[in-house]
Amino acid sequence: MTPIGRAVGVVAALVAPIGIGWASTLRTTPNDSASAVLRLAWTARPERIENCRAQSDDELAKIPAHMRQAVVCEGTTAAYRLEVRRDSSLLVDQIVRGGGVRHDRPLYVSRDIALPSGEAMVSVRFTRIDSVEPPATASAKIAHREQDEKDGERHPAVMDPDRRRHEDEERVRLRGEIAPAILSLEQRFRFVPRQVILVTYDSDRRELVARAGAAR
Amino acid sequence: MVRTVERLALRVLAACDATGNRLYGWRFNPLYQSGTIVVALYLTIVATGLWLILFYRVGSPWESIASLTANLWIGNWVRGLHRYASDAAVVATAVHAFRMFAQGRSWGPRALAWVSGGVLLFLLLLCGWTGYVMVWDTFGEYLARESARLLDALPILSEPTSRAFTGERPVPSVFFFVTLFAHIGLPLGMGVVFWLHIKRLERPVLLPPRPIAWGTMGLLAGVAIAHPLVMAPKANAFVLPAEIPVDVFFAFWLPLVRAVPGGVALSGLVLAAAVLLVLPALTARRGTARPAPSTVDEEICTGCRQCSLDCPYGAIQMIERTSRRSMEVARVDSTLCVSCGICAGSCAPMGVGPPGRSGREQVAGVQAFLAAPERRPGAVVAICCAHGAVAHRSALAAAEAVVYPIDCAGNLHTSVIEMLLRGGVGGVLVFACPPRDCLNREGPRWLVERMYHEREAELQARVDRARVRVVHVNAGEQHEAVSALQRFALDLSALAAPAVDRAAAVDAVCEASTTGVHS
Repeated sequence: MTPIGRAVGVVAALVAPIGIGWASTLRTTPNDSASAVLRLAWTARPERIENCRAQSDDELAKIPAHMRQAVVCEGTTAAYRLEVRRDSSLLVDQIVRGGGVRHDRPLYVSRDIALPSGEAMVSVRFTRIDSVEPPATASAKIAHREQDEKDGERHPAVMDPDRRRHEDEERVRLRGEIAPAILSLEQRFRFVPRQVILVTYDSDRRELVARAGAAR
Repeated sequence: MVRTVERLALRVLAACDATGNRLYGWRFNPLYQSGTIVVALYLTIVATGLWLILFYRVGSPWESIASLTANLWIGNWVRGLHRYASDAAVVATAVHAFRMFAQGRSWGPRALAWVSGGVLLFLLLLCGWTGYVMVWDTFGEYLARESARLLDALPILSEPTSRAFTGERPVPSVFFFVTLFAHIGLPLGMGVVFWLHIKRLERPVLLPPRPIAWGTMGLLAGVAIAHPLVMAPKANAFVLPAEIPVDVFFAFWLPLVRAVPGGVALSGLVLAAAVLLVLPALTARRGTARPAPSTVDEEICTGCRQCSLDCPYGAIQMIERTSRRSMEVARVDSTLCVSCGICAGSCAPMGVGPPGRSGREQVAGVQAFLAAPERRPGAVVAICCAHGAVAHRSALAAAEAVVYPIDCAGNLHTSVIEMLLRGGVGGVLVFACPPRDCLNREGPRWLVERMYHEREAELQARVDRARVRVVHVNAGEQHEAVSALQRFALDLSALAAPAVDRAAAVDAVCEASTTGVHS
């Protein structure tokens, strides 16, 4: 091999790892430096639209003891409309449904909206669009009433009283997690470039709240 | 279509290999060692990773890595070497896959190696993903958020994974624990898949020559020291970073998916992975294009085991013979045989080989060649591998050699060389591929062993070695091939005119026979 060839070989051997080091630490600018982001992110349990009925003793007797439920409900969940306005101009108008193929899981809102920097009035409304109260609640109430009447007559071997109580508690707990029919937030924000303002649902206060971090 | 791409890729590969050979010689050409370099890098990554893991804290991932990175003596360069070795492993894996594709080594019995190689590449990328995410700097967060966006397109997830990164609540420690667990567990899983990857190879070469292994690690360590890693800012869900450091080797897919919906991006990536995995079905040769596996003539087989020893794919087993003659007889497993024909060159009595390429058929071919009226007595015969030097056929012919193509140098039976010389040719120059470039793995190796080290079926001692030479050139080294021919012709010119002796019989005795009765 000629000295020139050897030198080229050495240079090539040096260039390859240097190239790897360089390509390993490239920098990218994925975000528009002038924009801020309004991030909508929350999860909540949607209202159930369902028909409930009390199971008879015969039906319960056919089910293994650990799977018995005094009241069974079938149905789906309500859909919600998400509307976001900035200084009265509509930015988002989206229908949100529960998660999962059958939409029977908690709903989830996740949206990043790029906004120009500066002050703006932001309005976020999250409203239930399916009417659920009359049929579902009515049928559930009827089912409960029927069940309560029957419980006194039921033999503990058919429906364990503890299990029955736990079922009621669980139903109450789930109802407590259901998002209110209307959630709204109207607030004036000062958007700083590359800052993220998060609007989320506070399940304890049952309302939308905004959080912001310090811009760098 | 696929065949056209293969041919184009082969031309590119040959040109790159030729450049590598010119710069480093074929023994130290790193392009020929892409697979073994990955193994050497894997060991480097594991060694440095074991050190780095001692300093990692799942409760404060960024802080622990930042503290390590700030330490130039025991932290920064080790982390740099860990990272650059991982990057180099991706590059070497891509080169290795490209070579296998270009050379058509992705289908048939080699499909297992191809598919397991694809899985290894996926695991390597996944391992890199976990490595970057567990640091939880801006790049790690960017990777995690984009990956979660893609994953959330799957309708089976009741709760989106991206919820963990929105800033609603701090990312839980358990996330980093699972990521760390995967970062350690995936390389172990890669070991199992690697075993599958080389399962069908006999005598797999696992590590590159020492100069390449130490040179690669030394150069990467040098870059790690000369170009110290700089810690990216800590991930913060409430701030969009102005700049993010991106490792293109592990995040090459990010720019491709950023502008498209998660479902489309995920479908695209899954489709690309599926194409990679089903490639053996696309590249498979069918019908007459598919070379037939070797067969054994049990009447001729002496049970010497040489073909079984030489087969690079473990496709020949010795089984108990039920009839007369030797105790054992060779049996070819057609599901493992790639039809390389190396067994044809290893069988002294010429009883095994692919149809049309067995020793006996090679001898018949050379007899016809010698009987051809247009043959020039005293000319140099250039035996060229069909996968390499045959590309220089015209140039060699212009340099007054008679080109004699053969499917693979390892396929060549030494009796062919002897018969050519006895037939009055001036000399035999065998153009074999560089050993690590051999389509059939061990062709050139066994050829040299048979010609110069008495490996069965050896070139007989009575053959004048001054009239025989082996040269390693690939399809991109025409100048080297012609130069080698001219040098050989010059050396031959100093010898006396060749004698013609067609009377002597070809030796068909297998001296390595352990159990058989010689024919």
